Amino acid sequence: MDIKQRLKALLQEAEIYRTQGLISEAHDKYKSAADLIHSINKLKNKESLLKAVSEKIRALDSTKEKVDKGAETPELSKKAQDLIKNLFAFSENTDADSAALEGAVALAKFGQFDRAVVELNELLQKEAVRVEAAKNILRCHLASATVDEAISQYHEWFSGDQFQPQQLEAVRIYLDEILQKRGLTMDLPSAQTAEAALLEETAVEAETIVEAEEEFLDITSIGITFDKGPRKGKMVEFDVNFQSGNMLSLIISKQEKEVLEHLAEGMKLQDVQFFSPIAIFNGAGVVASKTQIKAGPKQGDYCLDIRIVSS
Amino acid sequence: MAIFNLKKREIECKVVYYGPGRCGKTTNLEYIFGAYKKQVKGEMVSINTEGDRTLFFDFLPIGLGQIRGCNVRVQLYTVPGQVKYSSTRKLVLRGVDGIVFVADSLEVRREKNMLSLKDLQANLKEYGKSIFKVPLIMQYNKRDLADQGIPLMSIEQMERDLNRQLKAPSFSASAVRGDGVGATLKECLKVTLQSLQREFQWAR
Ligand SMILES: Nc1nc2c(ncn2[C@@H]2O[C@H](COP(=O)(O)OP(=O)(O)OP(=O)(O)O)[C@@H](O)[C@H]2O)c(=O)[nH]1
Ligand SMILES: [Mg+2]
Repeated sequence: MDIKQRLKALLQEAEIYRTQGLISEAHDKYKSAADLIHSINKLKNKESLLKAVSEKIRALDSTKEKVDKGAETPELSKKAQDLIKNLFAFSENTDADSAALEGAVALAKFGQFDRAVVELNELLQKEAVRVEAAKNILRCHLASATVDEAISQYHEWFSGDQFQPQQLEAVRIYLDEILQKRGLTMDLPSAQTAEAALLEETAVEAETIVEAEEEFLDITSIGITFDKGPRKGKMVEFDVNFQSGNMLSLIISKQEKEVLEHLAEGMKLQDVQFFSPIAIFNGAGVVASKTQIKAGPKQGDYCLDIRIVSS
Repeated sequence: MAIFNLKKREIECKVVYYGPGRCGKTTNLEYIFGAYKKQVKGEMVSINTEGDRTLFFDFLPIGLGQIRGCNVRVQLYTVPGQVKYSSTRKLVLRGVDGIVFVADSLEVRREKNMLSLKDLQANLKEYGKSIFKVPLIMQYNKRDLADQGIPLMSIEQMERDLNRQLKAPSFSASAVRGDGVGATLKECLKVTLQSLQREFQWAR
């Protein structure tokens, strides 16, 4: 092909990729075009052509930056939120309150924390879902705001009279565990006297075990024992940032290079300790996915999904 | 996860358009929305981010009328193709009954197609489903760009890359022009309903 035609074809290709939003592909083609322009000796308008191409490349770079950053999770219209509630609450034939709980959790999953918290707060009035609603409110606070907010929320519940003592205690244990894992020791006031606590503990334990058969326990952190590499035989503990059923999401700092290298997608972890507020159990897991976080305060860190499997 | 209401003789099922970023999933739904007015049962909802990329999903409800004595409704979804929205993709895929995998015919997107198909397989596995068993249709999109001299993969190559083992029904398409969009959807609905029929034996 004649060199000028080749240049024309390259520029056309680049332009189509650009209009399709294929930024890095367009970028590459414009780069090749620039190289080609450099290499043609007797080209009139050489300078202006080069200038135009580098202008295009600059514009692509700035688009790329915007796309990589992505919009912050937007606050959606009420209509869109209603749709999410309808479409992503999955259980069939459950009672109205459990369905409402699921709808509110669906909102939280899509980052609609404000409305999720409003709806979860309403569900606190329902005896049967109160504790789950409370835990999810704390999750929303932890995901969207600060630890302080979660703590002051607990204090508010503590001073109110909406919760039964053992319900409040379940919530306290849950929050306490999360805080401890984050290296914070807060003396959260407990709704139970020592004596009553002892009785309750056994009761709560029995209850959770029943629950665990249908549903997974709330897992606040997991310990992974490495079977090779420099940390062979050592257990490393990670916080669980999000849980849905048997899927746990962890955020691992980019600094943890060895750990990240070791934990490959699809890898089976034979020896895992799961820490829940009430019980610790051993089991196995599979690294379901490993994604680098592209935006926000945790940019560069990794999000690991680990699925609990029966060992 | 199709919902059957045997009393009302109603079925509602879920079809998801999957594929790498920018391959034309949203464009498929937009074409369906415009071209199949009679079947469309509500507004198309798109939740987008920077540059019209899908952030959460697109949603379009359609109705097929009576099939074997049952009123069939279908929810069409697209997932966000950008790699970073992995957890949203998983969420949208939940309870899926049929899948259209939209592959980008551009040569420069070859690897992205394969990665996305692998991602689909992994996500289905999370839900205990096998990519070999789920109703699945392949669409090779953007064929129109050949007219403009843009390097495209041949259909044979795309079949080899993506469909050698799956052997799913496949269609060439140009979603912007609407070519192949209806054929893809029809075939997907056919195999999806056949599979639901086998599973639930609803007819007669
Ligand atoms: N020429 C041509 N362009 C197409 C075709 N299909 C889609 N496009 C273009 O490709 C770009 C991306 O299309 P979308 O439908 O938004 O792609 P998507 O798969 O929804 O992308 P994500 O939401 O980011 O995953 C747009 O500029 C479309 O106009 C096609 O068949 N031919
Ligand atoms: Mg899209």
